[in-house]
Amino acid sequence: MQVSSLFTGKDVCIMKKRACSMETRMARQYLCLVLPGFIIFTIGLIIPLLLAFRYSLTSWDGMTVEKTFVGLKNYIELFKDSDFRNAWWFTVKFTVGNTIIQNVVALLFAVALDSGIKAQKLYRTVFFIPCLISAVIVGFIWLKMFSNVLPAINDLLGTNFNFLLFGEKSTVLRGLLIANNWQWIGYWMLIYLAGLQSVPAELYEAAKIDGAGTIKRFFNVTIPMLAPSITICVVGITTGSLKVYDLLVSSTKGGPGRASTSIIYQTYTTAINGRQYGYGCAMSVTLVVVLLLVALVQVKSLKSREVQA
Amino acid sequence: MKKKVVSVLLAAVMVMGMAAGCGSGDSGDTAADTQNDNGAESSESDADGESAGDTSSSEKVTLSVLAGQSTTDAGIEEFIDEALAEQYPEITLEWECVDWGNDFQPKMQQYMQSGLPDIMIGKAQDVATYAPKGVLAEIDSTYLDRGLDAARENVTVDGKTYGLVYNALYQGVYYNKQMFKDNGWEVPETQEDLQKIIDDCNAKGITPFASHMVDTWSIGNVTMQFMMNDVFNKDAEWGDKFRNGEVSFSDSKEAQTAYQYNKLIYDNTFPETFSTEQTDCDAKMVQGEAAMKVSGSWSIQNFLDIDENFEFGIFPFPNQTGDSKLIFEPNITIMTSAQSEHQDAINKVLDVLTGNKDLAVQILDYTKTASMLKDVTPTFTNPSQEDIDKYAADGRIVDVTLGNNQLVWGGFQEENAKDIAAWLQGDETFEDCLKASDDRVEASSAN
Repeated sequence: MQVSSLFTGKDVCIMKKRACSMETRMARQYLCLVLPGFIIFTIGLIIPLLLAFRYSLTSWDGMTVEKTFVGLKNYIELFKDSDFRNAWWFTVKFTVGNTIIQNVVALLFAVALDSGIKAQKLYRTVFFIPCLISAVIVGFIWLKMFSNVLPAINDLLGTNFNFLLFGEKSTVLRGLLIANNWQWIGYWMLIYLAGLQSVPAELYEAAKIDGAGTIKRFFNVTIPMLAPSITICVVGITTGSLKVYDLLVSSTKGGPGRASTSIIYQTYTTAINGRQYGYGCAMSVTLVVVLLLVALVQVKSLKSREVQA
Repeated sequence: MKKKVVSVLLAAVMVMGMAAGCGSGDSGDTAADTQNDNGAESSESDADGESAGDTSSSEKVTLSVLAGQSTTDAGIEEFIDEALAEQYPEITLEWECVDWGNDFQPKMQQYMQSGLPDIMIGKAQDVATYAPKGVLAEIDSTYLDRGLDAARENVTVDGKTYGLVYNALYQGVYYNKQMFKDNGWEVPETQEDLQKIIDDCNAKGITPFASHMVDTWSIGNVTMQFMMNDVFNKDAEWGDKFRNGEVSFSDSKEAQTAYQYNKLIYDNTFPETFSTEQTDCDAKMVQGEAAMKVSGSWSIQNFLDIDENFEFGIFPFPNQTGDSKLIFEPNITIMTSAQSEHQDAINKVLDVLTGNKDLAVQILDYTKTASMLKDVTPTFTNPSQEDIDKYAADGRIVDVTLGNNQLVWGGFQEENAKDIAAWLQGDETFEDCLKASDDRVEASSAN
C-alpha cells in the first residue's frame, strides 16, 4: 500500500516539515553537546599541536623574540641524534614490557577474582589502591624500596639478592617495569573484571555441555567475549607507557646515565633545560605521529577481532 | 526541553571554566610584546586600585616572587614574610617556590612569554642568562652597598648590576676530622697525597669517598669543581675558547683529567652509589662509613641534622699542579623585573633583606651558609669554618660563577654529567663521552 493513498499531499508536507524541524533541533542539540568539548579540544590540543609543528621548523630557544626559520633541519638532526634514538629504544622496550605484563597479569587476576574466591572485594581494593597514588610518589616509593627496604631485608635474612635495580643500566628497565606494573595492574584488572562479569553464564554452560574444559572455555568463550576490554586495555597501556615521564622523574631521573630516558623525558630536557625549544618541538611532533599510528593500528586490528567475536 | 537546558548549562559552565582558567593574565606571543605585564597578582592589585607605583603611602601591594631554591633554602620564605610583615605590613609576597635545578629555568621560560614576576630568586649564574635579554632591572646601589664587593663581579653585565647576592656556598672535599686524626692523615695538597689517603682507606676497609651518583646533578657539580681547578684556574676563558673552536674536551688534557677524577671517585666509593640518595649518603659520611665527600655547603645542613657534634673540615680537591683553590658559589641571588610597576615596593623588600640583620642571621643559620652581606655573620657552629678562613687568608678561593657563566648548567653541564655516568658504568667509552660534550657546544652558552 502506498503512503500517498493514506495521506493527502498536505499531510505529507506537514510530516516532512516536522521531520525536518526535528532533525534541525536534534542537530542543534548535538552541536550544543559537542561544542564545549570541541572548543576545549581545539584550544588545548589542536592549536598547541599546530604551534608545536610551527616551532619545530625554527631554532627558537623558548625565550627570545626571534624564531629563526630553519625548515626541516630539526627533523634531519633527529635522525643523527643518538640520544633521541636511545630514548625511543628505551620507550619501546618499556611499552612492550608493560603491555604484555599488565594485560596478562591483570587478566589472570580478574579471572581469579571472578572465580568466586573469598574476600574478593578486599583483594580488589588492595590491587586497586596503588593506581590512586601519583606516579611521582610511586617512583619515590620504589626508589626507597630498592635502595633501602629490600637490601635491609636482604641483611636480615642473610640473603644476597640484587635489589639495586635502579642503579645499573642492565637492570633499570626491570625495576621500572616492577614499579609501573605494581601501580597499574589493579586498574586494568577492574576493566577485565567488569568485562568478565558481563559474559552471559549461558555461554559457559553451553560450552560445558559441549564438553569444553576450563582452558578451552577460557580461550573460546572468555577471550572472544573480552575483546572490547582487551582493546581498551591494550590501547590504554600502550599509549600510557609511550608517554612515561613522571615515574622517571622521582626514581631514576632518566639514569643511570641515560639508561632510562624516555622520549618525553628527552623532549622535556632538550626543550626546556637545554633551551632548544624548536628541536624539542620536533621531538614532540614525532611522538604525536607515533602515538596516533600505534593507536590507529591497535584499534583497527583489535576492533576487527571484536567483530569476529 | 530538559535535555536542551542541561546541555546549554553544561556548555556554559565549561566555557566559563575555560575562560576562568585562561583569564588570569594577559599573555602575548613574545617576550617583547608582554613585558608590560606583571603576572596575576600585580594585575589584581591594579584592578583593586592598589597599585604601588608610589608606595610612600601604606597602600597594600602584593608582589609575585619566583624562588628557585636549593635544598637548603626551602622554608626561608616564612622568615622573610615575618620580617616584612613587621617592617612593611602593606607589602605581601606571593611565593612560588620551585627547585632551582629542575624547575627554575622552565618557569622563567614560561614567564618570559607571559610577564616576569616582580622578584626572582635564583643563582648568580642566572644573571648572565637573563640580563642580556633586557628583562632584569638594575639593583639600586643603596642595597648593593650593604653587600660584599666580591659578590658583584659575576652579577654585573656591561657595568650594571642586576643581582643581589645574599649568601654563598663553599664547595670542596668535606672530610671526617676525627677519622683523619685517628689515621694520621694530613689534608692532601696534591694528587699523590690524596692517593695515599685513598690507598690507606682501602687497606683499612674504609670507603674513601661518600657519593650519591643517582643524583646526576652531583656528578655535574663535582665535575665543575674539577674543571675550575684544572682548567679554568689555568685559562679563565676556556669556555669561550671552547665555543670559538680553539679548545675541545677531546683535545684538552686538562679537561680530560677533570673528567677522569670522576672515575677516581667512582672506583673508591660505595658500590651502590647509583642507588644512593643524598640524605643516605650524608648519613653514611656522618656515621663514619666514608672518609671524604666531594660536595658543597648544602651537605652541612644534613651533617648537623644527623649529628650536631660531627666534626668535619673542607679542602679543595687537589689538582695536577697542587695549587687548588676552594670553590665559592654565590647562592641566593635576588633579581627584579625591569617592567615591574612596583619598584618602590620591591626596594622595600630589598631593604628588609639587606638591612634586617636579624633576618639575615636567621636565614644563614637555617641554610648553614656564609653571608654575602657586610657585618653579618651566622651564629651556627660550622666546623669547616676554620678551614674556609685559612684558604680565604691565603687567597685560595675561586668563584665558580666564572665557569658556570661560560659553560652553563642547563643543557650542557647537566647533559655532560649523564654521559659521564654512562661512561663510569661502562655503557659509553671515554672518547664518546668527550665527543658528546664537544658536540653539545651550541648548548654551552645561555645566549
